[in-house]
Amino acid sequence: MEISDELNEFDEKLIKQLNQIAKEKVEYWDIRTEVNNGTSLDFTDQKSKEISSFEIINCGIRAFKNGGWGFSVLKDLKRESIKLGFQRAIKLACLSESLSKIKFNITPRDPLIDQFKNHRKKKLEDIDIEDKINLVKEHEKVASDYSPYVKNTRTIYLDGHSQNLYLNSFGSNIIQDLSFLRLFCLVFTNKNGAIESSVNSVAGIGGYEIAETNKAINLSRKTAEEAVALLDAKSPVGGKFTIISDPKLTGTIVHEAFGHSCEADLVLNNESILKDKIGERVASEDVNIIDNPSMGQGSQFNLPYELFGSYFVDDEGIPSQKTIIIENGILKNYLHNLETSSRMNVPPNGHGRASVSSERPQVRMGFTYLEPKDWSLEEIIEDTKNGILCEDFQYGYTHPTSGNFQFKCRFSYRIEDGEKKEMMRDVALSGMILEALNKISAIGNKKTYNYSVGMCGKGGQNVRVCDGAPYIRIEDITVGGLN
Amino acid sequence: MDNSDIHSLAKYCLNLIEHKNSETKCTDIYFEKSKYINIEIEENSIKNNEIGEDNGVSIRVIHKNGSLGFAYANKLDKITIERMCKIAIKMMKVGTPDSDFKDLPGLCNSYPVVKDLFDKNLKNLEIEDSLNYVNDLIKTCEDDDMAISQSGNFASGYSKTYIFNSNGLNVSRKDTSCIISSNIIVKNKISNETSSGYERQIERSLDKINAIKVANLALEDAKRNLNRKKIKSMKVPLLLTPKSTIALILRPIAAAVNAETFQYKRSFLVGKRDQKIGSDYLSIEDNGIIDGATGSQEFDDEGVPCKNKKIIEKGNFLKTGLLHNSYTAGKEGVESTGNAARSSYISIPSIGITNFIMKPGDISFEEIIRDIKEGIVLNYTGDSVNLTTGDFSGLILHGNLIKNGEIKDPLNETMIGINIMDLFKKIDAVSKEYKVYGAFQAPYVRIKSVNIIGGAD
Repeated sequence: MEISDELNEFDEKLIKQLNQIAKEKVEYWDIRTEVNNGTSLDFTDQKSKEISSFEIINCGIRAFKNGGWGFSVLKDLKRESIKLGFQRAIKLACLSESLSKIKFNITPRDPLIDQFKNHRKKKLEDIDIEDKINLVKEHEKVASDYSPYVKNTRTIYLDGHSQNLYLNSFGSNIIQDLSFLRLFCLVFTNKNGAIESSVNSVAGIGGYEIAETNKAINLSRKTAEEAVALLDAKSPVGGKFTIISDPKLTGTIVHEAFGHSCEADLVLNNESILKDKIGERVASEDVNIIDNPSMGQGSQFNLPYELFGSYFVDDEGIPSQKTIIIENGILKNYLHNLETSSRMNVPPNGHGRASVSSERPQVRMGFTYLEPKDWSLEEIIEDTKNGILCEDFQYGYTHPTSGNFQFKCRFSYRIEDGEKKEMMRDVALSGMILEALNKISAIGNKKTYNYSVGMCGKGGQNVRVCDGAPYIRIEDITVGGLN
Repeated sequence: MDNSDIHSLAKYCLNLIEHKNSETKCTDIYFEKSKYINIEIEENSIKNNEIGEDNGVSIRVIHKNGSLGFAYANKLDKITIERMCKIAIKMMKVGTPDSDFKDLPGLCNSYPVVKDLFDKNLKNLEIEDSLNYVNDLIKTCEDDDMAISQSGNFASGYSKTYIFNSNGLNVSRKDTSCIISSNIIVKNKISNETSSGYERQIERSLDKINAIKVANLALEDAKRNLNRKKIKSMKVPLLLTPKSTIALILRPIAAAVNAETFQYKRSFLVGKRDQKIGSDYLSIEDNGIIDGATGSQEFDDEGVPCKNKKIIEKGNFLKTGLLHNSYTAGKEGVESTGNAARSSYISIPSIGITNFIMKPGDISFEEIIRDIKEGIVLNYTGDSVNLTTGDFSGLILHGNLIKNGEIKDPLNETMIGINIMDLFKKIDAVSKEYKVYGAFQAPYVRIKSVNIIGGAD
């Protein structure tokens, strides 16, 4: 692997010097350094609004002593500045230690020395900028020409390459080389003054092949189709309903309403409804929820690239791995970083992640999914007397200490006597997550199982994530509407 | 890197682009140097101390046909900047023509004088000297019987920004800011129900920070939301606190009067210029030149002077009530309003608010609530208004029942549904008390009647 000059700065000699500086002053330290570059193409109504390129270097140095952390961020990677930054982190850790009331240690781990690079069939740097532009222009044209109701289109193409180095006081020395691509389409429609919109994206870890899959090629047509269909959708009537939720919405509920409360940092800070619930039943017996951000899972969805939420090792040098969160309705594990696993006396499971090296790792999800069971979608619909079929979402959130959630769906259809009826827009669902997980009355089979991609925000940091789920049915959900 | 280095680098860049390329119409170069400190509390104890710095440059070049190329990096040496200039030109050449682009701004004869945007105490603040703010937060939480945990932080930052362009613009400014935040969790020891409350304060200077007050407000917020009840659906008056006035009135309007959103017809206010869109109680302005305010600047992120602009006056959406940068202003044939905004050197200028203000009324909060026999007070919701349709259907995360003019039980699983154009028309009282949260200033607002969807059977 070809290594960037900035990362080569951290040679054996420097690491030895850093170890000397840290000796007997702190119990643990780590350094993350990354060199990022990429391209962004932003088109509106078939015109380019921004065509840009960037080169960014980040470095974050962390030191730890008996419950106190110090963190120092620098952008100038000269040897002397690195040493100064390192000393600063140590000083800050000692200051934190002198003030912190909660004392704990970081449990030592075996060092990991390795290099990782994701597979890319078509290297991003080998593709001409003109070709990328033509791809975006084509998407814009398809969306604009789709219908006279389409009034405004936007397509954003982002690609990037990141090479990062991870070093810690256990002796780990890891290089990860990742390339990714994201494509967004946004379409606004207008009919007699009523405005609607839809948005879709494709994203993954790999090369330019991500933009050439069928899903990517059809992205703008699908988005325009949806934005036009919504023009005739009706506002829902509020009340209590049986909900059939598609993989995109279910995955988001699993991630937002449940997954965050499994993050052990929130558990320790009393911000989780799952505190002290390991080993207890928290969902109906059919429910199995897993987080597995390891590489090699794109193929189960017939993707020639890696899932967007995957990584080789987390930002604390722990390999990504499969973690069972709920097994047959019983809560089995929280998600951990080095700190929370040390404090709760369990092995870390590879969920210490930061958006960039200049931010501190938090406990974050990777690819969180609900395992499929045995219902076909047709069976679920036929079996439902009165309900709402909800597809896709606009946004969703959960109140951490109560578990009260709210999700805004993109498309919804009334279900009457086992039949799918007219489309509705802006259906808002709310409930209490632990009640909802116990009211799941049907879980779809493998054929109904799918994944979706996104960026998840927590504490001001956005990280790449995926979620997965089949169609499911939940009873007694409150639906808010304007009527 | 000091001032003279940045000036000579900028000059070098502008010359380079001019000589390299005869197709370029104009160029701007944006430098930003910043540093910050941050102290974080978790589990009501100091957990992390952080110091950081950043510096970066971005180069925007625009072709005679309007096509825009952009490049940025966070290494400020000559070789990197030279490469960024070349890349920006390459990017410009592959873009599409855009006849809507007119020109970048030039240097103005005078810029407004806005005081207290820079506090030298903050620029030089050391972590050791800021610990008392965090300790105040911790102690307030410790001393309370019901509080079980707190997360929060104190952070301060300093930045220096330089903007140069090929029209002779050459300006720079210094900014400081600090923030203190508190998120406190309380527990009812009998029922074991927990609840959280959040408060924060953002200022330009250190002496205005009041940590004890922030923590106490977060505590009150948390306690007011304990022992939540489900209610039945009803149609009643809705009282918005300053926080929810921001969420339901100020944020949606700020987004809707963004000229870019407006020109692309993505805004619920399209077609409503020069029309009455709300009751007489709705008056809004965007004022960028208030001394010491978080959203104030002498000039925007393209170097255009900031000013005060009326947006909505007594319910009338003014024809001049849009916020512009130089691109959208050129497209409409008006002057930029000084609202160009970049998130940092990494973004091309979009449009942002300065200080976005809903004018307070002349009666007190007490008088407003006194008249409500049965109603709802909304403190916050995680939902946002659909900006294209104006529809809002949201979950009340923090809200209480009002009975006979008094705030009663907090609400569980309760939702609100309204179109905000309808909400603007139903405003029937605005308080003289108001609060400032960052760039927003908001009073208490009463809405005549709103549909509430309750979770009780």
